Amino acid sequence: MKYIIGIDLGTTNSVLAFAELTEEKAGEVQLLSVPQMVATGTTESKTSLPSFSYIANSAEAGQGAFDLPWAEERSFAVGELARRRSADAPDRTVGASKSWLCHHTVDRRAAILPWNAPDDVAKISPVAAAQQYLQHLVDAWHDHFSDSPIADQHVVLTVPASFDPVARELTREAAIGAGLGENFVFLEEPQAALYAWLDQQGDDWRKLLKVDDSVLVCDVGGGTTDLTLIQVEEEAGELVLKRSAVGDHLLVGGDNMDLAAAHFVAEKFAANGTQLDPWQSVSLWHSCRTAKETLLTASGPKTHPISILGRGSKLIASTVSVDVDKGALSNLLLNGFFPECGINDVPQRQPMSGFQEIGLPYESDPGITRHIAAFVKQHCATNGQVTLPKYVLFNGGVFKADGFRKRMLEVISGWATNSAVESDESTATVAALAGGEDLDFAVARGACFYGLNKHAGGMRIRGGVGNSYYVGIETAGLAIPGAPRPLKALCVVPFGMEEGTDVSVESNPIGLVVGQRVSFRFFSSKTRKEDQPGQLLGRWTEEELVETDPLLATLTVDGTEETFVPVKFDSKITELGMFELWCVSSVEGEETARRWKLEFSVRDES
Amino acid sequence: MGLMVATKAFFKLLTNRALSESFDDFASGKLALEAEKSKPDSAPAKPSEKPKAKSKPEPTSGRSEAISLLSALQREARFLDLVKESLDGYSDAQIGGAARDVIRDCGAVIERMFALQPLSTAQDGDSLETPAEFDPAEYRLTGNVTGDAPFKGTLAHHGWKATKCEVPKYSGSVLSSQIVAPIELEIK
Repeated sequence: MKYIIGIDLGTTNSVLAFAELTEEKAGEVQLLSVPQMVATGTTESKTSLPSFSYIANSAEAGQGAFDLPWAEERSFAVGELARRRSADAPDRTVGASKSWLCHHTVDRRAAILPWNAPDDVAKISPVAAAQQYLQHLVDAWHDHFSDSPIADQHVVLTVPASFDPVARELTREAAIGAGLGENFVFLEEPQAALYAWLDQQGDDWRKLLKVDDSVLVCDVGGGTTDLTLIQVEEEAGELVLKRSAVGDHLLVGGDNMDLAAAHFVAEKFAANGTQLDPWQSVSLWHSCRTAKETLLTASGPKTHPISILGRGSKLIASTVSVDVDKGALSNLLLNGFFPECGINDVPQRQPMSGFQEIGLPYESDPGITRHIAAFVKQHCATNGQVTLPKYVLFNGGVFKADGFRKRMLEVISGWATNSAVESDESTATVAALAGGEDLDFAVARGACFYGLNKHAGGMRIRGGVGNSYYVGIETAGLAIPGAPRPLKALCVVPFGMEEGTDVSVESNPIGLVVGQRVSFRFFSSKTRKEDQPGQLLGRWTEEELVETDPLLATLTVDGTEETFVPVKFDSKITELGMFELWCVSSVEGEETARRWKLEFSVRDES
Repeated sequence: MGLMVATKAFFKLLTNRALSESFDDFASGKLALEAEKSKPDSAPAKPSEKPKAKSKPEPTSGRSEAISLLSALQREARFLDLVKESLDGYSDAQIGGAARDVIRDCGAVIERMFALQPLSTAQDGDSLETPAEFDPAEYRLTGNVTGDAPFKGTLAHHGWKATKCEVPKYSGSVLSSQIVAPIELEIK
């Protein structure tokens, strides 16, 4: 092994960071320049690879139009060209495939993307899309370092903290398919962002953070928001970091903000008598993305001109402009996405129009601060008293706009006045964790730094799994016509179970029918942190336990005439961070010989 | 300023093939990753490639890098549409409205591909002295130039240098290599 590699497989952008391993010391973390199509017949190397795939019409592909240094006769393009085409040919462009990976109502191995595309488009599955992006990074790696196959390197692949076991399993499938080798490990993205900060600080972090401090990592990507809480603890006189909670997978991000800004500006155009056509709207969206930071700066002129260039070759003649009131637009974005709210506010459930796209279950409440309030209230409280996090670590390109950061800190600090919140002078203000300005690349860099630490025995954030897991067991009892048998939830993995460990779940043996497919309902919880393996829950609320895809197994037994096998469960968290559940015969002496692994079913069986 | 830089850099490259190649050497030599340098020549080189003395195998380039740069400026910044349009009959405000975005986007392209930096960190009007021996390409002396170096003067322009040169690579056919921007056809 010569290199440590960190890969950020993002919803909108993917990045590969690497560091060379030498005998004496670990090398500096660098970013890989990734060759990608920027126009037909034209490649350019960029440090980020937009996570988009364009599926060409057969007439377009040909004459080397989509060739890469390592591939000829291609009929698709990944990266910048695909991102550009997503605007003017959406039916042929796959985007946001990562969000589809954790979307339980569709079969994620089926060719369904681009969603709602016409029949003549060769659709691909969300897993295949993820594989394409990773494959592109792998190929780019081999193009640069032909003597260091990626399968022999130490690779860290980041996933959202909120990814459930199925989404992880599917990501793993894509990674193996792309040639990453079996030995890569997963790291949660918000943790990676914190590792990037640790890398930047060196040993100074021990002076900046104190025992009992907590850090809220707020990672707002293009399409998703991920929350994580890290606690600073002390063990044997040393400071240690522990990841104590992860938030739900929130489908709201920077793209929603750009779109909201574009809607606002489009209304200004309409008021001036200019109705924008679809091409102009896309162009406006792009302008708003570029202008967002300027628009959110309080200093300078009160208005900012936004132009949409004419489409044809008569550029000046058909350019339309409007002066946008910066105050009004920043209020719209701040109040829409980072609204003032109290600690007791909860995300609103009613559907909001304007941010919806058919297919993905976008957040009904785009108010990120309300989601944070619910998260903090849930995870930072002991006996009903909330302790606010001392620091916030911002991650994601959205936070280049200082206005968003400022607003968020104000809102969280404001919660200190609530009687349910503990406050003294030391906790009075919530501060941003200083440094960490590399908002676009921090996750990949941090993943690489984590790999270095794992290799060389440096600083690690502890935490284990961010959920507890349960299987549904139907209880025996008299059947009542028309009523389902009561369902109980058996805890199989406790919150915080460490990677590389396994646990035998103590329970009454469950009789499984031989030769038939058995199915277990599967649940996870981010909040029930005390449940132990073997614990049987009789009732729970919808918020506590979230059901995802069921687990399946077919028990094949050779040469016996049994019809039932009594089993118990063994669960395991692999070094990679993958969850595995096994049915183990509970007949004495057979425990090691008769084991069956349960697999997630990602098909829509309803 | 961005537009001026774009225009200058572009014409420099267009008119001076040698310069563009020296940029290339500069970029691939000085700025290449260490590991890239150690990459063996014999790696997965395509048979169609022209043998080159360089340490890094170049992808086949069927067209001048200048066209690729022009194409990028048009694609990302609408540069050609702006400079090819007659300015007659437009008010300064109209021109400014369109030019603002074009200049901004041209600047971003130039910055990404060339990462320009001033040659001197001194400010306009500061007094500056050349070294005893200097590269005539680095200093342009104006006014009353007499005697021997070092020369002392007032900085009129800090100069620019490209710290890299990463123009997109062309892999299309030779036939279409002169195409800077394609026809756009919207299928209803």
